[in-house]
Formats: sequence, structure tokens, C-alpha cells
Amino acid sequence: MMNNQTLLTITNKQNTHRNNTGLVSRLAKRSIFRNTRRTLLTVLLISCSLTAILFTDAFVRGMVNTMVKISTQTFLGEGQIHQKGFREANDIDLYIKDTPRLYQQLDTVSEIQAYAPRVLAGAMTSSSENVASAIIYGVDANKEASVSKLKLAMTQGDYLSGVDGEIILGEQLADLLEISLGDRLVVTVSEAHGGDLSQALFRVSGLFSFNERTMDIGMAFINLSQGQTLLNITGVHEIALRLQELNQADDKTLAFWTVLNTEQLETLSWQELVPQLSSMLAMTEYSTLIVSVIMYLLVCLGLINTMFMSIFERQTEFGILLAIGTRSKQLFYQIMLEGLFIGLLSVVLGLLLALVLCYWGSIVGIDYSELEMSGLTLNEPIYLVLDVSSFALMGLATLAITLISCIYPALHAARLQPSSAMRKTL
Amino acid sequence: MTILADTVADVAITKKTDSNKSTVIETSGLCREFGKGDTLVKALSDANITIERGEFTAIIGPSGSGKSTLLQLIGGLDTPSSGDVFLDNKNISHMSGTELSDFRRDHIGFIFQAYNLIPVLSARENIEYIMLLQGISAPERKKRVDMLMHAVGLDGLGERRPTELSGGQQQRVAVARAMVSKPSIILADEPTANLDSKTGADLLDMMKDLNEKQNMTFVFSTHDPKIMERAKRIIRLVDGCVVDDERRD
Repeated sequence: MMNNQTLLTITNKQNTHRNNTGLVSRLAKRSIFRNTRRTLLTVLLISCSLTAILFTDAFVRGMVNTMVKISTQTFLGEGQIHQKGFREANDIDLYIKDTPRLYQQLDTVSEIQAYAPRVLAGAMTSSSENVASAIIYGVDANKEASVSKLKLAMTQGDYLSGVDGEIILGEQLADLLEISLGDRLVVTVSEAHGGDLSQALFRVSGLFSFNERTMDIGMAFINLSQGQTLLNITGVHEIALRLQELNQADDKTLAFWTVLNTEQLETLSWQELVPQLSSMLAMTEYSTLIVSVIMYLLVCLGLINTMFMSIFERQTEFGILLAIGTRSKQLFYQIMLEGLFIGLLSVVLGLLLALVLCYWGSIVGIDYSELEMSGLTLNEPIYLVLDVSSFALMGLATLAITLISCIYPALHAARLQPSSAMRKTL
Repeated sequence: MTILADTVADVAITKKTDSNKSTVIETSGLCREFGKGDTLVKALSDANITIERGEFTAIIGPSGSGKSTLLQLIGGLDTPSSGDVFLDNKNISHMSGTELSDFRRDHIGFIFQAYNLIPVLSARENIEYIMLLQGISAPERKKRVDMLMHAVGLDGLGERRPTELSGGQQQRVAVARAMVSKPSIILADEPTANLDSKTGADLLDMMKDLNEKQNMTFVFSTHDPKIMERAKRIIRLVDGCVVDDERRD
């Protein structure tokens, strides 16, 4: 059984621990507001850095989303089906032949929202004034409208209606050929199965603009059936896929990817179709990391400087505290606690600022119209994407960085010798 | 000033000693050097001092004679270059940092020239601080602080921060803080240097009263003639050496 002396010792120890915790916390809280201006400036530095990091993160997420959307929704689709070997050889003889059965199959895949069959070939387009090379696409007008933005990109005239002789051109191609709506145009292609030249006369029924130079100067669209006739094929070269969800393009475990990749067919996601864009986007995501590292470095240096200024100002006071019996580790905890309070204030303020700024950016968007990145024109605003996990992670990281920055000043304070800290006095 | 002595009778050290004249401070071959080589300065050389319980001692000497250095070494605020310091028969020269902190907390009261209160704490909290470190219960802390605040004539000023108190009031708080932990030794570094003569004299009377009634040991470092008048013993230092040790019984 414990005797009274032991109980008294335990009670005293518990009292000491409770008292010391309260005391250190009280001193820390009051000390950080001793120089309110400096504390507020430090809090602003940290919170603005956190806001900048979160804004960058939200911006990068938004930019990636926008670029993927522009890339896939404009014309590419989230996936494409080709006859095996077509993409490598660009050989018009390698086309998908049994299209009815494939269409039937595609209709049953729940992940596929829409698909658009296409024939395509390099062509020579000749007007009465000029000649230009372009890629001629034969498309199913209705199906194409549900996969790409061709119909939405029309700036003059009419979209394809399925009637032979219609052709729609990019505005810049029309300028190059010096033709306008209603003018005649001859398209010359090399036929499949032998390569004989095949020509057809078209009348310009519409002009489009995707706001992307390579597309607007290098593409022309005719109806699918006439394209097949012109190229002397019965199938299609390409089927663009619109998926229910964008992330289904990443998920190769979905059954349709296996089903649609056969001995004859090759079905690829947008990442595989334009790997350079995929790599570029992956690199873009590093920008958040780079910004974070720079910002956190500034935070560390700023905070270490602030804490040292604060410590040097209070050196005599620390000397007194040590002289009257404060243990070094209590001083260490006090400085760390001051850092924690500054960190908490900064994180709350930084998260609030970031939330307001990113929310505004997610509603209004940031207009980068006409800016071209990696061959992709940003023809719609970038809407910032708020990510809760980023907010939580960066908030915690900021708090951790703040505490880490305080270790050195806190150790410095804890190692002070009372006599040198107090200098002139006892 | 009798009030303080009576108050501290409740609060003050009640350590049982065999004799009122036991040795409380002893230094042996105490040296303190600063710098190296050509810049070496001997702040204190071979100081051998013995101070007994209840003495009211003034260490005097010109500026730079080593008074403050001696007091710092006695108080465990600095480490001697050689020699030993014994307080209450314990050699503090070889104690670890934590042991020394605890020893200072429990055995030594400090009064500084520039008051040196903690600016973010109120007068009450400044006095209470050491008791919090000691783990003393809240009711006991309140009782002691109330008594000491009354004793040093600061009733009603407990919630004021140091900046809201006059120099004399701050020094009274500092005296109360030094007393509250029931130390066996009080070390005071020119405690009256920043006070006007009347306040200084009142403060000294208060400390003298404590010394006489409670047998508390006081060691002053000073230039103040008022302290020298009241001191029972005067140790004179010149260039770091003890050149005179006068007792006035």
C-alpha cells in the first residue's frame, strides 16, 4: 500500500506537470502578442504562402482539367479505335471493316456515352485561286456532334446535313484557299486498294474555328458516306469514343478496354494517343511541388528570423526565467508553443484566404484565351479545382514546417546560460 | 516592515538546522576567466569565502572588480573556470543543468538591479511563477501571494503588469518573488541602484527586518552606502581578488 508520503509526492508531481503546462502555455500565448505587428506580419507571411500554394494547386488542377477537356472534347475523344497498324503506318488501306458488328458492340458498352466513326486521308484541296494540303475527314454528322465540338465550332454557314457535295473547312484554310461560303472546291485523294487518285467537287457549306491553328488550317470535313466513296472503302479508319467519365480513360481494368482490343482492333485512351500531352500534364503537376518548396523555404527562413528576433529581444527575460528555476526544456516548449500558436493562426487564415480565392476562381474562371501550350490552345477559361485533401495536407504541412522552423530558435533559447543572457545584471 | 518579517514567518524557510550559524555558502578556490590567450581576463581569482546562515553580507568593490561574477557563481548562474561552490553543503559546481535549475528554484532567491520581472505576467503572476514551477497547489499559492502582496505594500496592485508599476513597486514585487519560494539564500545585485533614496532605504529596512527576524541569509553586490551601513559583513573585492573581509558584530 502506498503511504502518505508517496501519495504526496505523486500529487506534487501531478500538480507540477499541470502547473507547468498551464504556465508555459500562458507565457507563450501572451508572448506572441507582445509585438503584435511582428506577429501579424509573420502570420501574414505564412498564411499568404499557404494561400499561394493552395491557389497554385487549384490552378494546376483546373489547368490540367481544362487542357484534358480541350484535348479530348474538341475532337480527339477520350479514346479511339483503329485497325491495328493504322496509326503507325498511316495507311488508308488499314481500316475497320466489320463496322456493323463493332457498332453493335459499342452500343452495349455502358461506359461509352457516344462514338463517332471517321474516315480520313491526306488530301489536296484546290480552289480557283489556290491549292493547299489538308486532312479530309469523312464523318457521320449526328454522331460527330455527340463526340466532338465540330458542330459547336461552326462560325459561318451550316453544319453537315448528310447531303453529298457538302464540305466544311477551317477558317484559316478557307483564307489560304481564298474561298468563302458557297465557293467550289476540288478535293484530290489517293484511293485505298491501289492508290489511284480520286477527285470530287464540293461546295463550301460552312466554316469552323476550334481556335487552334493546326486544326483550323489543316482540316476539312465531308459526310462519311461520300468520304468512303472517295477513298473507295466500306469501313472506317477511326472511331472516336466519348466515355461517361473522364477517369474511365485511365482505368484499364474496365472490361471494355480488353473487349475492344482484339487481334484486329487497337483501342487506346487519350493518354496513349497523345502521350506528349499526358507527360506535359504530369510535369505541370510538379509545379505545385516546386511552388510549395520555394514557399516553405521562405516560410522557414522568415519564421526562423522572426523567432530569433523575438528571442534576442527577450534574452534578458529568458535569463531571468532560467535564473529563478525554469528548466531549459520548459523554455524550449515555450518557444515551440509560440510557434504552434503562430502556425495555427496562419493555417486558419491561409485556409480561409485560399478557400475564398479558389472558390472565386472556380466560379469565375481565369481567362487564358488564345494562349497556346504544348500545341493546345486554351480556348476556354481555366476554372480552379478545390481539393479538400490538398487543403488538409497543405494545412498540416504548413503547421509542421512552422514547428520545424521553431526547433532551432527554441534550442538556442534553451541553451542560453543565465549569466550571459542577463548580461549586465546578476 | 515588521509585517513582511511576520508574514514570511508563515511562508519562510523553516528548515531545521542544528545551529543558526551553520555554513550556508562556501566557495573554495573559485576562479572565473573570460577569453583566451592575449584576451584572457581573470574576473575572479581564488576566492575563498564562507558565509553563515543569517548573515547580511555586502560584496563591494569598484566596477569590474568581480562582484557580479562572484554573485553569479554563488547563484549557479555561471560555471566557474575552477574551484567549487557549496550551498547548503551541496557542491553546485558539478550539478547538471536540470539539477541546478531545480536547486536555484528551491534554495535561492534573486533580486536584480533592473527589477527584471516578466513583462507579460501580472504582479501576482510574477510572484506566483516559482510556486507554479514547484507544483504548489492553487489555494496555497493564493495564500502566499496574498500575504506577500500585503507585506510588501502592494495590496490592490496584483493584476497590474510590471509596466504599470513604478520602479519601487516593481522592486517590491521582485522581493516578494524572491521570498515566496522559501529560499535559504537571497542574492541581490545592486537592488537599490535604480530606486530613489527613500524607496531604496525602505526596501533595505524590509530586507534587514527579514534577516534579523527570520535569520534569512542575504548577499548583496553593491556600491550603495546605505547597504554598507546596514551590512553585518563587508567583503571587498579588487581586480577579482578578495582584499578585505570585515565583520561588524
